Amino acid sequence: MNIPNVNHFIHAYKVAPWRIQRQWIGSTLLAVVVLAMVATLYLDVTAKAAIAGREIQDLNAGILASQQVSADLQTELATLTSVSVMEQRALELGFRPMVPEEAQYLIVPGYAAPKPEILAAVPLPQMSASTFPPEYSESLLDWIDEKIAISARGIR
Amino acid sequence: MRQQYARRSQALAYALAFVALAVVVQMVRIQNSPEAAIFHERASNYAYELHTFYPDRGEIYDRNGHLLAGNKTVYEIGVDLGIAKDANSIASAVSAELGLDYNTMINAIQNPGVNISYVVIADYVDAQSAIKLQNLKKTLQGQAPEGTLGGLTGLEFKSHPQRSYPENSLASNILGFVSREGRGYFGVEEKYDTLLAGNPVQVLLPTDPNKAFEIPRVPDGTTLILTINRDLQAAAEQTLDESLSHYGARNGTIVVMNPTNGEILAMAVTPRMDLNQFWNYGSVYNNASEFNSAISMPYEPGSVLKILTMAAALDSGTVTPATTYLDTGSILVGGATIQNWDQQPWGLQDMTGCLQHSLNVCLAMVSTEMGASTFYSYMNNFGLGHLTGIDLAGEAAGRLKIPGDADWYPVDLGTNAFGQGVAVTPIQLLMASSSIANHGRTVTPHVLSAMVRDGRQYNVPAQYAGTPISEQTANTLTNMLAVSLESEGSLALVPGYRIAGKTGTAQIPVNGFYDTTQTNASFIGWGPVDDPQFMIYVWLERPSASIWGSETAAPVFAEIAEKAVILLNIPPDYIRQQLAKK
Repeated sequence: MNIPNVNHFIHAYKVAPWRIQRQWIGSTLLAVVVLAMVATLYLDVTAKAAIAGREIQDLNAGILASQQVSADLQTELATLTSVSVMEQRALELGFRPMVPEEAQYLIVPGYAAPKPEILAAVPLPQMSASTFPPEYSESLLDWIDEKIAISARGIR
Repeated sequence: MRQQYARRSQALAYALAFVALAVVVQMVRIQNSPEAAIFHERASNYAYELHTFYPDRGEIYDRNGHLLAGNKTVYEIGVDLGIAKDANSIASAVSAELGLDYNTMINAIQNPGVNISYVVIADYVDAQSAIKLQNLKKTLQGQAPEGTLGGLTGLEFKSHPQRSYPENSLASNILGFVSREGRGYFGVEEKYDTLLAGNPVQVLLPTDPNKAFEIPRVPDGTTLILTINRDLQAAAEQTLDESLSHYGARNGTIVVMNPTNGEILAMAVTPRMDLNQFWNYGSVYNNASEFNSAISMPYEPGSVLKILTMAAALDSGTVTPATTYLDTGSILVGGATIQNWDQQPWGLQDMTGCLQHSLNVCLAMVSTEMGASTFYSYMNNFGLGHLTGIDLAGEAAGRLKIPGDADWYPVDLGTNAFGQGVAVTPIQLLMASSSIANHGRTVTPHVLSAMVRDGRQYNVPAQYAGTPISEQTANTLTNMLAVSLESEGSLALVPGYRIAGKTGTAQIPVNGFYDTTQTNASFIGWGPVDDPQFMIYVWLERPSASIWGSETAAPVFAEIAEKAVILLNIPPDYIRQQLAKK
């Protein structure tokens, strides 16, 4: 095949109407696919965020329920070990109140007299600021808005 | 043909594109129309709702970690009228389980009123009953025919915390109570209401369930640890109750305090109430001052106040322990004659004898020798007529008349010296007397030992309210009081422990005159004398078995002191002295 024939074929290929149509169709399809991917990603992220939000709500409800159960049990335990109940149990077991003359005092090396109750010795960390990073709560559009706003502030 | 087909396709494509463009234009137009702004604003009103998170109320413990006030879960039971189908079943089940009136409930469900979609039929229902009803609802739902709901559908349960007092009436006068609105009344619950209640947090929460949000951290209310020893408190209340019965007294008070740091170890009064049934308050008490008479009911204490008069006299140099006085049985002060309790002369007495025999005439002489200015200056420094600052709600200041007051007369200088014509509360006398037991330093009584907030415990240090007398005066007077008890063989003595103290018998004014048959019997004492670890005040109101404090209040002091030395692990004097030598 000689060179002029090849050039003629390439020129004919380039100007063929069906080729331009295919380019348009291809570009359109590409745009549609990209949009679909973005939409799918957006849906996926949104769904995950929603599920995470629900799980957090459930966990918080669980914490609240556990705290209530704990408080109930603590109160019940205190009731079961209250002075009147313990005294009644002691009497039923055959004990009786002692008098000072019956007390015997021994020296126990290293014994330390009981001190008032210490309920909390280790300080807990202070948690006043929000612990959620924005990625867990903002949508894609929120993220784009934020970036645009930051850019705008940067330009100003 | 092919070109025609192409033109048609092109026309169709343009038409569709135009329609699509028209849709987009219309969307943009609608989105930016004035109506859209209105709708957007309306929607934004419902996008978030203000939610208040209430912290759990802080707990209250005694000094050894026993829970005195906690929280438990109770339920509000209501009916969602939008989904309730069988009012009869609901009313029957609830009335059977909770003992409520069936007709009242059926009326509430069937005639709720206009625009009412939810009716509360019971609140503060205990967990046991609520769970039974919940199980019944589930069972009926399980047994319901296909496509229908159970008979109790619409019955709703909402849990919330309620204050609970595991010890019921124990230390009720110290604790106070919390109303259903969450407000503290009396005692610690009122005094530290703000701390215990914590800080509610208000936040805007999105109504869109798909929006993640963070529930704010709401710290619980501050937990309080009291100085109270639960077991000693129980022993004091038991002793007091038995004493009222034994001596026929109308009411009584026993307060146990550590005189070296002001910690209240026990504070028993009558009457008391079951704090879990605080709504019975009105039937238990006639007025608010009865809730804790130890701090809110001033009275004429009688001879227990003589220790303050003697402290002032010794400290000012008016007398010494060896100063003698010839008691003739009466003395004229401010134009009025003052007599001894037995209206008899006791002859030559030193100051210890004056205290031992509780001679009004002698103490009136001492106060007049001291002079009004010096005497009232000391009484003021002891805190009479002032609030002690104890951290309990409802404290009363009492009354100390001083020269210049419209109702003060010269005779008051004599009568005040032995505790008549002056009104004090038991806690005031404990505070004032702490200076004698504590080497001259007055302690501020308090019930709070520590606070726990955000996981940190803050201990409350002891506070001192001045030094009204010198250490030497305090030690001298303590020894005089101990000797006087030992010399008379007082019923207040505790075997194995050296005790200092003083009885008091004050006649009660009735219609402007003192009634010789009705008295307030008191005793204040502390021990062990060489290392005071407890100071006890006993007040019996109108004892009928005997009007004398030496025969009623003194033995009650001994009884509670014997229990105190066991519960506080205080060995007898000889053992402590042996240990000190080693």
